[in-house]
Amino acid sequence: MTNPNPEIRIPRFDAYERVMHWMAALSFFYATLTGLALWSPKLYWMATMMGGGYHIRGSHPWVGVGFAVVMGVMARRWANGMRLDADDRIWLTRMHKYATHDHAALPPSGRFNAGQKMLFWAQLATTLALFVSGFVLWFPEWMPRSLRLLSIAAHPLAAIGSITSILVHVYMGTAAVPHSMRAMLRGYVLPEWARFHHPKWYKAWRASHHV
Amino acid sequence: MIVAKLIDTTLCIGCKACEVACQEWNDQEYTMGTFDGSYQTKPELEANFWNLIKFNEVEKDGATSWLMSKYQCMHCADAGCLAACPAPGAIVPLANGTIDFVHENCIGCGYCITGCPFDVPRLNATTKKAYKCTLCSDRTAVGLEPACIKTCPTNCLTFGERDELLRMAETRTGELKADGFADAGIYNPQGVGGTNVLYVLKHASEPEQYGLPKDPVIPWTVSLWKGPMKWMGTLMFWGTVLGAFFHFVIYGPQDPEKHGHPEEPSDKS
Repeated sequence: MTNPNPEIRIPRFDAYERVMHWMAALSFFYATLTGLALWSPKLYWMATMMGGGYHIRGSHPWVGVGFAVVMGVMARRWANGMRLDADDRIWLTRMHKYATHDHAALPPSGRFNAGQKMLFWAQLATTLALFVSGFVLWFPEWMPRSLRLLSIAAHPLAAIGSITSILVHVYMGTAAVPHSMRAMLRGYVLPEWARFHHPKWYKAWRASHHV
Repeated sequence: MIVAKLIDTTLCIGCKACEVACQEWNDQEYTMGTFDGSYQTKPELEANFWNLIKFNEVEKDGATSWLMSKYQCMHCADAGCLAACPAPGAIVPLANGTIDFVHENCIGCGYCITGCPFDVPRLNATTKKAYKCTLCSDRTAVGLEPACIKTCPTNCLTFGERDELLRMAETRTGELKADGFADAGIYNPQGVGGTNVLYVLKHASEPEQYGLPKDPVIPWTVSLWKGPMKWMGTLMFWGTVLGAFFHFVIYGPQDPEKHGHPEEPSDKS
């Protein structure tokens, strides 16, 4: 079968995954705007926009805890599938081929390609760093000075890494890869999309559904 | 005109009148502390206790002596609290050198506590805002001297023009040296650009004995955050946004029709 049946809808993310993803996305968005307000007095207008500095000082840590919890739940669901296989390692060395649409030069990807897997691990690492350093900054009167001094630099540093990788993620999920947003909003993809972007995953789905 | 306080620690008798005057003028309720065997009123500054006379007990040649010091905001020229504060208008450097906290604008993040090399500001548990000595900005604004200065019975405390006080301190240091205190000197740490609270110390080479840091500077992690990291973050943000935009302009979206995979599994099955 060369041409996949365009009528078939292949389930990609179930409701649980979609809800987790968007809870993480919304809390990340809130924490980013309020965090940028605290990052520089020049961006303090964002605090005004979000309810005022006094308010966001209270809400940012709680939303951050929410984000970390959701990330933990997502990691439980996805961590196993995010291990890099032999194809992924080759893929990573040819990332520039991916960026220039030279897909013929890339080994086939599974449910997630190596770039998505790296984003997952990067997000997990920065979330952990943000959570630990953020917890220290939350209670300045109780935390030892040495930890506070470390956290006041580690927190924004981890945030820079986190925000930058999410910017790439948003670009990939919207403009760069058409129809991928449908997978995260409605939960399914079309066969042609799956065949092109995730050949090994598509093959496994076909084998298990005898189509 | 930069104003300052001069604290001649050799003249302090530990009467704590300045502590009372500070509490009175600033209308602060006194909260009971714990008695820890010291003459000191409290072990530490508190959100409603901004001026603490420290009874530093020092053992030397088999004898114990008190090295008195007045612990409060130092009103640094290069203030760490201000560097770390995210809320515009919450920490205001006045033209006369005072570092004043404006509580309407304080958001209670406590970054000033971490940024301060002297560990002075304190968060009030109820209002969730940071407090410290204001150098009685509400008195100095109308030509009065700060409450602690006004009440000091021994002339240990002097308020006035900073340059004039530095000259007075030099003179006093000379007297102490003539009296045999070879190590006498002025505490005016340059790591924070100098402070508007100046001390005359008998043992100037060891300010730690008075509970004062030897070479205070704005913590390097705060400087890193407010300096190179700010540039790095700005570059990375705009680099990524513009990079993504121009990637789209040059290469466009991924298109299965145009960028087909020659070895896709469907062709082989």
